Amino acid sequence: MATRSPLNDSFIFLFLRRMRVPLVVLISAYAIATVGFTLMPGTDDQGNPWHMSLFEAFYVVSYTGSTIGFGEVPYDFSAAQRLWTIVSIYLTVIAWLFSIGSIISLLQDPAYTRALRRARLSRRVRGMNQPFYLVCGYGDTGRMLTRALTSRGHQVVVIDTHQEKIEMLEIENLHAPVIPFFMNANWPDNLEQAGLRNRWCSGVIAVTGNGQVNLKIAISATLLNRKVAVYARANTHSEADNMRSFATDHVVNPVEEYVRRLELAIDKPDLFRLYHWLNSGPDAHLMKQLPMPRGNWIVCGFNRVGRAAWQLLRERGMEVSVIDPDPNGEGRPEGTIRGCGTQADELTAAGVYSAVGIVAASDDDADNLSILITARALNPDLFHVVLENGLSSHSLFRAAEPEIIGQPSVVIAGTILSRISSRLVEPFILNLLARDNAFARDVLACFLRHQDHRPPEFSSGRISAKRAPALTRAIESGRTVTVGALLTNPRQRGLRLPLEVALIRRKQEDILFPADDTVLALGDRLLLAGRDGAAKAVRSVLESDALLEYVLTGKDRQQGPLWQWLERRLG
Amino acid sequence: MNMSKVVFGFFVLLAVTLNFGFFIGDIDNPDHHNVYELFAALVVGLIATVLKFGERSQIGAVLLASSLVVDLQLIAAAIIWAVAANMTDGGVTPAVMASIVSLSGGALLANLLSLVLLTLETAGLGR
Repeated sequence: MATRSPLNDSFIFLFLRRMRVPLVVLISAYAIATVGFTLMPGTDDQGNPWHMSLFEAFYVVSYTGSTIGFGEVPYDFSAAQRLWTIVSIYLTVIAWLFSIGSIISLLQDPAYTRALRRARLSRRVRGMNQPFYLVCGYGDTGRMLTRALTSRGHQVVVIDTHQEKIEMLEIENLHAPVIPFFMNANWPDNLEQAGLRNRWCSGVIAVTGNGQVNLKIAISATLLNRKVAVYARANTHSEADNMRSFATDHVVNPVEEYVRRLELAIDKPDLFRLYHWLNSGPDAHLMKQLPMPRGNWIVCGFNRVGRAAWQLLRERGMEVSVIDPDPNGEGRPEGTIRGCGTQADELTAAGVYSAVGIVAASDDDADNLSILITARALNPDLFHVVLENGLSSHSLFRAAEPEIIGQPSVVIAGTILSRISSRLVEPFILNLLARDNAFARDVLACFLRHQDHRPPEFSSGRISAKRAPALTRAIESGRTVTVGALLTNPRQRGLRLPLEVALIRRKQEDILFPADDTVLALGDRLLLAGRDGAAKAVRSVLESDALLEYVLTGKDRQQGPLWQWLERRLG
Repeated sequence: MNMSKVVFGFFVLLAVTLNFGFFIGDIDNPDHHNVYELFAALVVGLIATVLKFGERSQIGAVLLASSLVVDLQLIAAAIIWAVAANMTDGGVTPAVMASIVSLSGGALLANLLSLVLLTLETAGLGR
C-alpha cells in the first residue's frame, strides 16, 4: 500500500472501480458504431460510390449517440447507412443509459455515500485549528458532555455506532461546531480518522455503554497520542483498575461514585451538597440541606449499586433489610425478601413502617418509581434514595421528589466536566474530601455570596513570566502580592471579584482556600472558582502592569512610554 | 485462474500488438499505415485504461499512468490525421504521416512499459 491514507480517498477508487464495466461498454459501443459507418456503402451528391471516413463516422455517431441528431451529413444516406444508423442509435443510447444508471445507483449506494461522507468529515477534522474534544459514545452521558463542552466554546468530534443518534446530532442546535462520525470507536483506525492524532485534540472522552470498548479507547488514546488527556467510564472495579494502571487521566466508575456520594451524604451532609454541586455538570442545582436519618433502611434491588448501598449502610451501623427478585443469589444477606419492592406486602415484610429510609436501586426505572410511590403511601416520613438509569423519564423522577436521585449519566458527565476545566480540580476535590463538614459549610457560604444556584466555574493559571507577566515583574521587583489583592475588582478597588482562589499548588504543598493575606510566589499554580467570566478580570490583572498597579495601590498608572515619562517628570 | 486477470492481460497485450502493427513500416509512407489499425489501437488502449481504474497498488498506479500516456499520444495522432485528411488541401502527406507514426511510436514505448510492468507483477517481483 503506497497510498498515504487508505480510507481518505477510498471513495474515488470505489467510484473508478464501479465505473469500469459501464465505461468499457460505452467505448465498445462507440467503436462498433463508428467502424460500422465506414463500412456501409453510400453515394455522394454526384452519384459516385462513397464511404465515410473514420472522422465523419465518429462525428455522426457522436451526435446520434447523444440523441442530438443533425440529420444526414455530409450527403444523404444510402439504405445501408440508414440501417446502420438504426443499429448505432440503439447501441449507443442503451450504452449511455446503462452508464448513467450505474453512476446514479453508485451515488445512491449507502457504502459509497458513507465513504464520501466520512472522507468529507475527516477532511474537516484535519482542517481544525483550535482545541477540540473527542467524545466516544453519544448516549445520555455523551450528549450532556457535548452540550456542556460546546457551550464552553470547544469544538467536539462525536463517534457513535448508532445512525439515528448521529443524524439527531446533525440537527441539534449547539454553540460550537460538532463533527459527528458514524463508526465504531473500538477500532484505532477510526479514532485516528476522527482526529486522535491531531495536534489540536486536547482530550478523549470514552463514555460508550460498554466498559471493554472504553478500555480499548483509553489504551488506543494513550498509545497513539501521549499529549492527549483521557477520561473514561468504567463499569466494574477491574475495568477501573485496569484503566488507572496505564495513566488514564480520569476514570469514572458510576458505582464507586455513588458510594462516595452516599458516604458523604451520611457522614458530611454539607460536603456532600458541595461535592454534588461541583460535580454534576453546568446545570446542577445546590441541594437542600437534608441529613440522612439513622435507623432501619430498606434496599430494593441487590445489584452493584444496591450491594454497595447495603454494605455502606451496614458499615455505618444501621439495620438494613433487602428486597430482591432472587433472594438466594450470590452474596445476598440472610433474610432477603423475594420481590421487586413494588408491592405493599413486600415493603411491609421489610419493615417499611419502622424504617427511616429506602434505597430504590433496581435496574428498571419504572420499578424504581413504583417503589418510591408505594413506599411513600405506606410511610410518608421515609427518606428516599433512588437510582435513575436512563434520562428519558427524568421528569417523572423530578415529580416524585425523592431526596437523592442517582443518575449515572449526570454523575459521569459531571465528574468528567469538572476535571476537564483544569488539571488542578482533581487535587482540589481530594483535598476538600479530607476536610470536615464545618469546613464545607463555610466554603458553601463563601460561594453562595456571589453565586446563585449555578455551580462555580473553574479556571486555572500559573504565575510565570509567560502567563502572568505583570505579576511576575512585580514579585521580582520585591513587592508582595497577596491573594486578597488578586481578587480585588480592577475596575473598582473597593469591591471584590465574584470568585475565590480554591487551591494554590506549590512545589511542596497544596493550600486549600488560602486566606486573603497569603503571599503569592513565582511558580504557583492557582485554581480559581467563581461566577462565569469573572476569571477574565483576574487574567487581565496578571497581564497588565497598569491594572496590577491600581489593584495594589489604588493609583492609575499611565499607559504608554510617553505618559510614563511625563508622569516621572511631573511626579 | 482468474478471469478478470485474463481479460486485463488480453487488452494490455492487444493494445501493444495493434500499436506495433500500426507503427511498423516506412515512417512517411501512408500505404504502410492503416487508419483502422490506429483506430483499433486507440479503442483497445482506452478500454485497457478503464480496466486499470481503481487499482490501489503502486504497480497499478504506474500501469494507469502509462495507459493514460498511450491514450494521449494516440488521440493526438488521430486528431492530426483527421485534420490533415479533412481540413487541409494536401491531405495526408508523407510529412504528416511521419508525425502521426512518430506519435504512435511514443505510445508504443508506453505500451511496452505497461507490458513489462504487467509481467513483473505476474512474476511476483513487484514487491
